[in-house]
Formats: sequence, C-alpha cells, structure tokens
Amino acid sequence: MLKRLLPLAALVFWPCYSYSESITPYFGITGNAATGGYSWNMDNVFPEPPGLEVNGVFYSYTPDKLTEDAFKVTVGNEGVWSDTEDWTGTPGGIEVRKVIGLPNVPREAWGDGYIITEGTGTVNDATVIYSYKVDPCFDPQFDPNCPGYVIPVPVVPDLNIEIYDATEDEYVSLNDEEKSLIEENEEQLDKEKEEEEEEAEERKRKYRMEMAQSLLGGAELEAENQRIIAMNAAQQAVVNTQYITATIPGGVYKENVVLIDNKIDDNKNGLRNGLAQQLLHEQMVGMQYNN
Amino acid sequence: MKKILAFLAISMTAGYALADAPITGNVQSRCVVTTDTPGVYGNPNAYTLTTSPSDGGVLPIVRFDVTLADAYYAQITTPTEFTSSPSLSDTVTWTGSTEVSAVSDATNMGDYETNKTTFGATTQYDLTATGSTWFKSSSAAAYGGNKAFPGGQYSATVEAKCIAQ
Repeated sequence: MLKRLLPLAALVFWPCYSYSESITPYFGITGNAATGGYSWNMDNVFPEPPGLEVNGVFYSYTPDKLTEDAFKVTVGNEGVWSDTEDWTGTPGGIEVRKVIGLPNVPREAWGDGYIITEGTGTVNDATVIYSYKVDPCFDPQFDPNCPGYVIPVPVVPDLNIEIYDATEDEYVSLNDEEKSLIEENEEQLDKEKEEEEEEAEERKRKYRMEMAQSLLGGAELEAENQRIIAMNAAQQAVVNTQYITATIPGGVYKENVVLIDNKIDDNKNGLRNGLAQQLLHEQMVGMQYNN
Repeated sequence: MKKILAFLAISMTAGYALADAPITGNVQSRCVVTTDTPGVYGNPNAYTLTTSPSDGGVLPIVRFDVTLADAYYAQITTPTEFTSSPSLSDTVTWTGSTEVSAVSDATNMGDYETNKTTFGATTQYDLTATGSTWFKSSSAAAYGGNKAFPGGQYSATVEAKCIAQ
C-alpha cells in the first residue's frame, strides 16, 4: 500500500516553480572580485541587469610581513572609494576584515578595482565582495507594470528571402525536353515582358499627348476670353458716347398753400355717403336675426 | 481678611502630599562579545585533546565589537577544566593561548597582539580602537601519565569578557 502511495505522494510534494519576474528591487552580493589578481574589471564582477547600484563593499586579506617592515595596503575602485591600512609595526598573519558602506553608487561610476601594496610584504587570501541593489524598472520597458512603460511598436522584419531557382542550380540535371520547355518558357516570359513594356510606353505617350492637348485647349480658352473682354470694352466705349452731360436745375420747393380759417369743414357729400354706409351696415346686421 | 488668609495657609499646609519622582536610565553596552566559531577538540592520540586544526580540531573564535575606544579590556581565558566529561581518575594538564585572528581596522588595531598581557590562562587586550576584533584561542588537554582518556563526551569553555577600564 505504501509503495502505491509513494508515487502519488511524490507527485504531490514535487517542487513546483512558478517563475514570474518581479519589479520589486532586489539585493545581492557578487563573488570574490580578487580571485584573478590584484586588479579587476567591474564588468566581469557585476551581474548583467541594468539599474544596479552598489551599497557596500566587504574586503579581507592577510598580510605576510615581518613586524619591523613598513607595509601599506590600499584596496579600492577607481573613482569610487579606496581604503588604506598601515601595517607598519604590526606582525603579519593577522587578517583584516572590513565593511565599507556606500551610498548606492550606480554601476556606470565604477572603475577598475585594485589592491595596491607599498613596502615590504605581500597580501594573501584577498577577498573583495560587493553588495548591490538592482531596480528592475531601471528600464521601464522591462515590464508593463513599470512606471513609464510604453507599449512597443512591433518592428516589421525586412525579409530578404532568396528564391531558389532550380534552373540556376548546377546540381540539377535536365534532359533536352525539359531544357526546351524552360527555354520556351523563358522566351514567352521575355515576350510578355517586352509587350508589357511597350504597353507601358504607349500609355505614357498617350498621357503626354493628352496633357499637351489639355494645355493647348487652355491657351485657346484664355485667348477667347481676352477677345471677349476686349469686345466688351469696345462696346462699352460706344455706349458711353451716346450719353450727354446735363445739369438739372434744382432748389427748394416751399409750401405755398395756406389754411385761412384754421379749420376744415366736413364734406357734406361724405356725410351722406357715410350715413348710407351706416344704414346698410345695420340692415346687414339685422338680417342675421330674421331667420 | 488676614485671618482668612492665615486659615487658608494653614489649611493648605496641613493637606500637602509627598511624591517620589522616579529617575530611570539605560546604559547601552558599547562592547558586545559574540561567539564567531565554536571550537572542537580533536583527538590525535588516546591521551590528548586539542583544538589544533592539524590534529582535527577547530579553534574557537570570539568577536569583540566595540563602539567606544579606550574604554574596555578584552579578557579571554582558555579552559583549565572540563565543564563536562566522563569520570576522570587522574589529573589533566591544560595548555592554551589566545591571539588576534582578525581586525576591522589594521591601522589602529594592529598593535593589539604586541601589547597584550597574559596572566595564567587569561590574556588581556586593551581595546583602543572602535571596530571588531576576532580572537582565536587554542586549547589542549593531556591526561595524566599518558593514560588514555575514558570514552565519552568532553566539553570545555573559553571565557571571554569585556571589562570596563
């Protein structure tokens, strides 16, 4: 029973990794930079990701010297930091272990690393390890969740495909009939190509002719228009000669009618007419009550 | 009016209260001792136990972290008896020593080893600089008369103390 359950249990407890790149900054340490000697290029020390900043260095070594010998050891990186220990008057064999804190120095600022000795003595078991922080979103395009991410425009690849032509292949052997067919096909293709070129040339020629005619027609129209304008101008000159210049006497025409007694009497004829109109009106109004 | 004032004054005097104002303080240690590497006895022969690496032992290392210079002594005492062992019927001869293993500031701590003082199994260092100092001790125990140690578990302790000057 146990043997039967064992594979199932193994399947259940089999490690399952779900890898997803995070945009959260992470920390790490390098390997020993001084394994290859007393000078090193930081490109060979730092890991690949951009956005790397170094926040500290740990170094250690053991000097090999006599107590009375003057001996100084300087560890550092060009342009960033350096630290000197004076071992003069100190017995050899005592290891120094030191941690240097740094204010997040970006990788671009780091020059080559070095261990320089002055005086009589040597350095043994040197270790230089860098502590760093990496910001994955240093390049916003690293992840869509990074601030400043821009949706990339896909680059259309320039396909330079070489088309295989079996007839040009020296390793393809053809018989006479096949060669004849290919030659006929090529002749036909050449002929079609010539015809297409002639047609294209003909179309161009026609187009040029039409354009020339169109330009000629425009010129004629312009000339006709000018002639009409000239004729209108001549006609207007003739019309203008038929008019004469005359002065119309004018002035002020004052009121010359005077109302003598300051009143106007009613017109008796009008009174009679008004009375007749009134009688007719009343007759018409009364007619509506007769029914 | 004066009488009233006097009465009030007496009344207030009669009603006074006593209070004790506590004063507390905290002194933060500026010298911390930490076991960096526990030691192991090797058993190169039947009558010897030693921490010497060449004999299969491991040297115990203690670290002193000091944040105040010229204020402390480091006192390290190598074992002179087993803290636990099988019953021993004969005497054990103890030898031991302590030396600086590593420093965090060679310029200012480089003379620790030359300036150390030893009395008995105890070695004292004057911690004149701030930083960390690693001290390693060696210890060896030889059973009396070249007798074989009885089989069993043997334990001993290196005592490291930080003493204010």
